[in-house]
Amino acid sequence: MNKLNRRKFLKGGLLGGAAALTMSRKAAASESFEGYPDSMGVLVDLTRCIGCRTCEAACNHEQNLPAPDKPFNDYSVFDERGPEGQKRRTTEKAYTVVNRYDTEKGPVFRKFQCNHCQEPTCLTACFVNAYTKTPEGAVIYNPKVCVGCRTCMVACPFYVPAYSYSSATNPVVKKCIMCYDTRLKFGRPPACVEACPQEVMTFGKRKDLIKLGHERIRNNPGKYIDHLYGETEVGGTSWMYLSGVDFNQVGFDTTLGNQPILANVKEFLAMVPMVLTIWPALFTGFHLLATRKEAAKEEQNKNEKGVKP
Amino acid sequence: MKRFVGQGVAIPVDSLIKPNGGGSWSIKEKLLLGLTPEQYMKTLVRNPFNWLLAAIYVVGVPVVVLRFVKGLGYVTHASYDYPWGLFLAWGLFTMVPLSASGFMMGTTVELFGRKDFKPIERLGLLNGLLGYFFAVMFLQVDLGQPWRLIYPMFVSLGPAAVLFLVAWHVATYLSVQVAELVPAASEWLGMKQPKKVIKSVSLGLTIAGIILSTLHQGALGALFTYAPGKVHPLWYSPEFQWIHFLTSAVFGGLCMLIVVSTLAKWFMRWRMDDTFKNSLDPLTLGLAKGASLAMFTYLIIKILAVAHGNKWGYLFTGWGEYYLFELTVGVVVPLILFTSAIRNQRPGLARVAAFMGVFGIALNRINTALIAFNWKLYKEVPAWREVLIVLTVYATYIVVYRAILARLPILYTWKGQAGKYPG
Amino acid sequence: MWQRKRLVTGMAAALALLAVPLAKAETGPETVELDSLAKLYKPVSFNHSAHVEIAGGDCATCHHHTLGTGKIEPTCARCHAHSGAASAVACRDCHPAERFGAKYLQELAQDVNRYHRDKPGLKAAYHLRCLGCHRESGGPTGCQDCHAMTQAGEAFYRAGQYAPVPHAEGTEH
Repeated sequence: MNKLNRRKFLKGGLLGGAAALTMSRKAAASESFEGYPDSMGVLVDLTRCIGCRTCEAACNHEQNLPAPDKPFNDYSVFDERGPEGQKRRTTEKAYTVVNRYDTEKGPVFRKFQCNHCQEPTCLTACFVNAYTKTPEGAVIYNPKVCVGCRTCMVACPFYVPAYSYSSATNPVVKKCIMCYDTRLKFGRPPACVEACPQEVMTFGKRKDLIKLGHERIRNNPGKYIDHLYGETEVGGTSWMYLSGVDFNQVGFDTTLGNQPILANVKEFLAMVPMVLTIWPALFTGFHLLATRKEAAKEEQNKNEKGVKP
Repeated sequence: MKRFVGQGVAIPVDSLIKPNGGGSWSIKEKLLLGLTPEQYMKTLVRNPFNWLLAAIYVVGVPVVVLRFVKGLGYVTHASYDYPWGLFLAWGLFTMVPLSASGFMMGTTVELFGRKDFKPIERLGLLNGLLGYFFAVMFLQVDLGQPWRLIYPMFVSLGPAAVLFLVAWHVATYLSVQVAELVPAASEWLGMKQPKKVIKSVSLGLTIAGIILSTLHQGALGALFTYAPGKVHPLWYSPEFQWIHFLTSAVFGGLCMLIVVSTLAKWFMRWRMDDTFKNSLDPLTLGLAKGASLAMFTYLIIKILAVAHGNKWGYLFTGWGEYYLFELTVGVVVPLILFTSAIRNQRPGLARVAAFMGVFGIALNRINTALIAFNWKLYKEVPAWREVLIVLTVYATYIVVYRAILARLPILYTWKGQAGKYPG
Repeated sequence: MWQRKRLVTGMAAALALLAVPLAKAETGPETVELDSLAKLYKPVSFNHSAHVEIAGGDCATCHHHTLGTGKIEPTCARCHAHSGAASAVACRDCHPAERFGAKYLQELAQDVNRYHRDKPGLKAAYHLRCLGCHRESGGPTGCQDCHAMTQAGEAFYRAGQYAPVPHAEGTEH
């Protein structure tokens, strides 16, 4: 409900006139959105992952993605590097990938996919409203309205959305939707969660998973870093992570902060209704002043001309 | 062209009726600048710049076509990490501030009543209109599904997004700019009514122009506040990003106007009337004054952003050096040159400064969108086909620009039939 | 429909497993056919007695406290130090086959006082137990070291006869 209200008034703020001016104060001081109360989430325990890539295979089948370049039981992909030395990332052909990181505790595997933010930046940045955060917790995407500006890709702090650049007639954003259409909607866990032999991923209500995550940390002293990544990052994500090594060693950005990204944009958004309402009056005033001076000057010029030879 | 003028051909066309009482010009004659088709072809072939343009088109047009046949993946690196490449860094983020001259000149002349800038007002307006129009063209090349361009307007609205504001405001502002140039076109076409209508609402149009420009120039900066961790802290500021983009657009537009008028002075002198020729130098200094004020303001706010975010430490890194280079070459040096030019009444120096200012804007926008973007990641060099498309679209911008300058009363005042066309 | 079918076969398999006789009361059965979840991989023929030997007869190495013997994990010991043998010893008796199925999730949601909320499902119980130990003690860790891939598995992993043709460009839609 909170969410709806805020989005509504942001709309007002950008489009509207005088009414929006009074509301913009709320924008700047807006209460933080705690998310849908019963939304689902996934807790990922990196200490359990063995890098078998079964989740990748499950995702490929569930989402009817094109055939991979290598079989899903080919583990040479962990040594693959892009032209700039970068590890694998989500692509238009793979909504989830597992990477291997060599740490002081040995190899650690980490699964990438959309983290399904509580306040998704992709959603707030989209000018055709192609994204929806469902009450179940998934961030889904409507390819039918997407124009292809790719601002969502710029805005995603996790570098998740990919784009089917290869298509000339219907390129669209490609990303994990938490199996919303086929599973989540019906109360079932995403395909990757169900397929995982190690139960690296635990599916449940987000609020329960937070408790569960902290319990695991408490019950296993020394096993985990005392942090649940995604509990607070960028306003919280539906997918959260436990790790035995520092998160920044295994491909997580630990500098994102706990504010939703939208908080950065609000400075500008709050200014919009001001300009819309104040500028016309201000500049009409300037015009009147300026032309009065001008008129006076012209008269003076005439007089001066009269004096000078 | 110079040659034909010298030969006494009745050109250039600057009124509805032919001199020597030969009746009125036909549209075709006006399009050919009063030359015969053969003479016109000769002027085209003789200009070496046209050969360069032709060369760009020969290799560039097929690649532009292939972009639409084979998709973006064929012409770019299809990067997921750098979703915005050169098309937007140059075509949108650089072209738009360089086209701020439209609203600047409108404001100066119509709103502040500085009639002394009147001779160059239309050039400012045209520079604005064409810059925006081609920014949209670049956008159309970059969008995955360009045929859905109107979706944010009519099909599926996402009004809480910054880009929504950019889309609406650029679209509205484009129509404002078209309206502002209707007088020039209607003079050339010999129509009275449109000009009258526009004159009656010109103040409203100008104010609309200021509002829309303030917001979308700022919004282009605000777009990057969606990517706080990705843009290098020196080029990023949640509080000041939009002010940086707005104030730099002010001097960007003015510098571009000086640059364009300089190019016109060098290459299209035949098209200028005496009013324009005579006022160009003092007006260049006038524009320089405006640009230097904006540069000074910009510089202060840039320093303020570094201080406000306590980012001094970054200045002593490699990124800091590069940041200082951008500010020095793009702002500080041209600011000093402008000041000296104004003090010593040297329009030539102001022109050098203006070229640097334009370079500074391009550098800043490309840095923000591409080079300082993903600063923690690898760097991406645009694909050659991408560069070629940018060249081709920009060449078209130049062709259209030149064609309009040669015809519509931008650099000269239309000579109306006495009594019928005052002003 | 598909899901229901799978559920039925799963249950049938589980019933079949119940029939496995306990050969010896002390050290458990000779072998256990772990087939209730077999789909992508063939059933595991688990050599129970060999593993009893490897564990040095300490049933708690795998069976927690449920046999009432041996040293158990300190967390479990807080409640179960003296609880004695449980009636259920097989993994599947406690670990749900459908850990994230609607039924089990509902069960968890209703039973707010349940302590064992973070109990892995059956598949994970097997893998965490077996593989955890194998990785620590240098046992075999490859997937097919314990169970051979089925035809369905090859299709799933795009392996074997379903492997992608190398450098097959333009395979995407």
